[in-house]
Amino acid sequence: MYCRSHGVTSLSLTRAALWLVVTAMILVPIAAVVSIGLGGNHVAELLDAGIVDAAINSLVSAGLSALFAVVIAVAMALILDRTDLPGRSVLRLVLLSPLLIPPFVGAIAWTGLLGPSGTINKFWASHFSGPLWNIYGGDGVVFLLTVHSYPLAYLIIAAALRRIPSDLEEAARISGARPMRALTDVTLPLLRTAAVASFTLVAVSNLADFGIPALVGLPDRYVTLSTMIYRFIQSGTVAKPLEVVSAIGIVLLLLAVVAVALDRLLGRRGAAVDGPSTPAQRLALGRNRIPAGAVVWMLALAVTALPILSLASQALLPAPGVPFTWANLTMDSIVGAVTAPGTVVGIRNSIFLAVGAAVICGVVGLALGVVVTRTRSRDNVGLDLVAMLPQAIPGLVIAVGWLIVGRYTGLFDTRWVILCAYVMAFLAIVVQAVRAPLQATPPALEEVARSSGASPMRALYDVSWKLAIPAAVTGGVLVALTAVRELTMSVLLVAPGTQTLGVSIFNLQQAGDYNAAAALSLLVALAGIAGLGLVAGVTDRKKTS
Amino acid sequence: MTAGLSACSEPAEPEASSSGGDGTLTVYTSEPQAKIDALNAEFTAANPGIEVQVYRAGTGDLNARIASERETGKIGADVLLAADAPTFEGYKDENLLVQYTPTDVEALNADIVDPDGYYVGTRIIPTVIAYNTGAVTEPPTSWQDLADPKYKGQITLPNPDVSGAAAYNTAVWLGEESLGQPWLEGLAANEPVVAESNGPVGQSVAAGTQPIGIVVDYLVRELAEKGSPIALEYPTDGVPYISQPAGIFADGANQEAAKKYVDFLVSKRGQEVAVEQQYLPVRDDVGTPEGAPALADLNLLNPDLAQITASQPEAVKRFNELVG
Repeated sequence: MYCRSHGVTSLSLTRAALWLVVTAMILVPIAAVVSIGLGGNHVAELLDAGIVDAAINSLVSAGLSALFAVVIAVAMALILDRTDLPGRSVLRLVLLSPLLIPPFVGAIAWTGLLGPSGTINKFWASHFSGPLWNIYGGDGVVFLLTVHSYPLAYLIIAAALRRIPSDLEEAARISGARPMRALTDVTLPLLRTAAVASFTLVAVSNLADFGIPALVGLPDRYVTLSTMIYRFIQSGTVAKPLEVVSAIGIVLLLLAVVAVALDRLLGRRGAAVDGPSTPAQRLALGRNRIPAGAVVWMLALAVTALPILSLASQALLPAPGVPFTWANLTMDSIVGAVTAPGTVVGIRNSIFLAVGAAVICGVVGLALGVVVTRTRSRDNVGLDLVAMLPQAIPGLVIAVGWLIVGRYTGLFDTRWVILCAYVMAFLAIVVQAVRAPLQATPPALEEVARSSGASPMRALYDVSWKLAIPAAVTGGVLVALTAVRELTMSVLLVAPGTQTLGVSIFNLQQAGDYNAAAALSLLVALAGIAGLGLVAGVTDRKKTS
Repeated sequence: MTAGLSACSEPAEPEASSSGGDGTLTVYTSEPQAKIDALNAEFTAANPGIEVQVYRAGTGDLNARIASERETGKIGADVLLAADAPTFEGYKDENLLVQYTPTDVEALNADIVDPDGYYVGTRIIPTVIAYNTGAVTEPPTSWQDLADPKYKGQITLPNPDVSGAAAYNTAVWLGEESLGQPWLEGLAANEPVVAESNGPVGQSVAAGTQPIGIVVDYLVRELAEKGSPIALEYPTDGVPYISQPAGIFADGANQEAAKKYVDFLVSKRGQEVAVEQQYLPVRDDVGTPEGAPALADLNLLNPDLAQITASQPEAVKRFNELVG
């Protein structure tokens, strides 16, 4: 019983406005890229360069890492939000920290630990025969993509879990099911929509990741489509680099279309349940509480604290390779990073861009999510698909699209062009975040509103829109955090005076000043963790548990 | 904030410049930010009427930006200061550069001046063998040494797909009689770790992650100056180098200022700044960075540029097949 949209002016207007926005912000730049990509025939050249292998590697690494990320995220959500594990709130922040470290910085930290002569491998080789695990190669790419994407999946899944009423589980418990059984038979199936939504989001954005496959894939000849793009741009000898790069971009677009189509097929069949009437009861772990806590904490710290410690130790040393002793510790790198010309400008611009992108994506993404999931119309599929597409396009290709559009519109070399690129790239985060709660809301509520005399638009606004606001806020926060550490798009779109924090870090690193780059990354991570803590604190207070 | 969408119609027009060279000069460069800032401060002091605007990025991003700008109209820069001679040869062949011979051309190292006069080298950036002084007692002193099995698993080098200098070096190695394909096979047998670019190589060697690296020399000097346990050897069997050339775009709005800028880059003062920034200079009246040898003492390789430019794609492909 969805409301039908034809003949309803305000709803049609909303739909038209949304089409206008996604056309301007997404379709136009994509069209620019596609028209260049089809400008010449590069099929032979690309086949010769091994595009088939690269495409397979991209698909496998993105698919596997998304699968692992979702599994970890579901486990995390259940453990943190449904049990009485000691230190849950702090643990949540610890586990979310990879979200705040730029992937290329994380990759450097991990290669220092698990490279062929990395710290852990050296230690292992001296005690046992041979190294523990060499991170370079496809397995390392999957591992790091997983580490950097499970927090995103967790935030979407946790938001969905909070909306599942515990009455159902209690009913199962009263009927004699054990707590575990109630969890697996009742709650997990209801999480499916959110799991599929986060899987698609993570898989599609991992398709486009550059930093991780470049730093841990290429050393072992593991090429993905996004690192291949760089090869063609970098080489001063390719005749038409933009055409070739855009052609690869088209391949990625096609992969994304397939992913989103699958998402629509799989995610449609979620059951709708009424919102929570009583707070969820936490599962008492009883005697296992302390040992279970210890195990989870150990795992969490191994994945999150090691790279942060590695960053911190770099930030406090004057140069790489200097022994870590009290006498050598210095604040020089941190002071140098903060006072570097461009850092202050970068911080200011990044805050502006992050907040701007978060607000625009939050509002537009929420409206899109409501219209696409709660109304019936043939163009819903189109709207949804267009919103998801940019996730799969590497930042470099999005940036090329906006460079071209920017030149024609006079946005070139301004902050607005970066903002436009961010909105295009991150809109899907909010759309996916609001999808789960919206799809799990039964149509009954809207029907009640309608039968009390509300117009379809009013019913949508009062019921669905308001219900999904918390998820949209989560999505907006995610957009802001992603924007702050964004690098590939910004690098190409910055101009004098518009540089971003990611570019500042990258410039320091390129100049060989790793310690300052590490210091700045650490500050970003700490500021982000503090921000997340604040957001979590606010939402925790809202909850009645 | 929500006005952001409608604000997508606020064009910021670049200010037009007068013909006397005064006004704004736009430079695209791959120089590290702090270095280009220091250089421009010196230039502005000598030419107070010219305001220099810089867009700094890696060579690949510069290429992408230039290609996008050509797609939609004019290139937005007056001067390009980046990369290596083959990159400039490509731009020269596409008629994007104007001919200009700097005033001080007589004082310059003849090897780095384009005989056709479209660009001029501004630094000598040799690629050397760096090693971690804490981990390596017998450092390799020649390229040949790097194929020695005793260095297996210890070597790291930049990726020629990502680093312009590395692509150039690969073509030079394969073109050298004494090295060529057999040597590259020997190097590949030592399973080197292919890092993304020169920066991570220096980092990895200094930290001891991979104790031996193939990297540009100034990075090693900088790290050593800051206290890292790292030193370098200029390979005895020939040192390939790139020259970070400067060229003037035909599309540039401020040709006069661009000429002054190129003059300054290779002038005595401009080269003194380069030496202060740990670069080897392109003229011999400004000394060399502390601890660096005199240019005359280096066995610099000057292969035929046309041949290198032509063989580079094939060389990079061969590298990827063997080393990956």
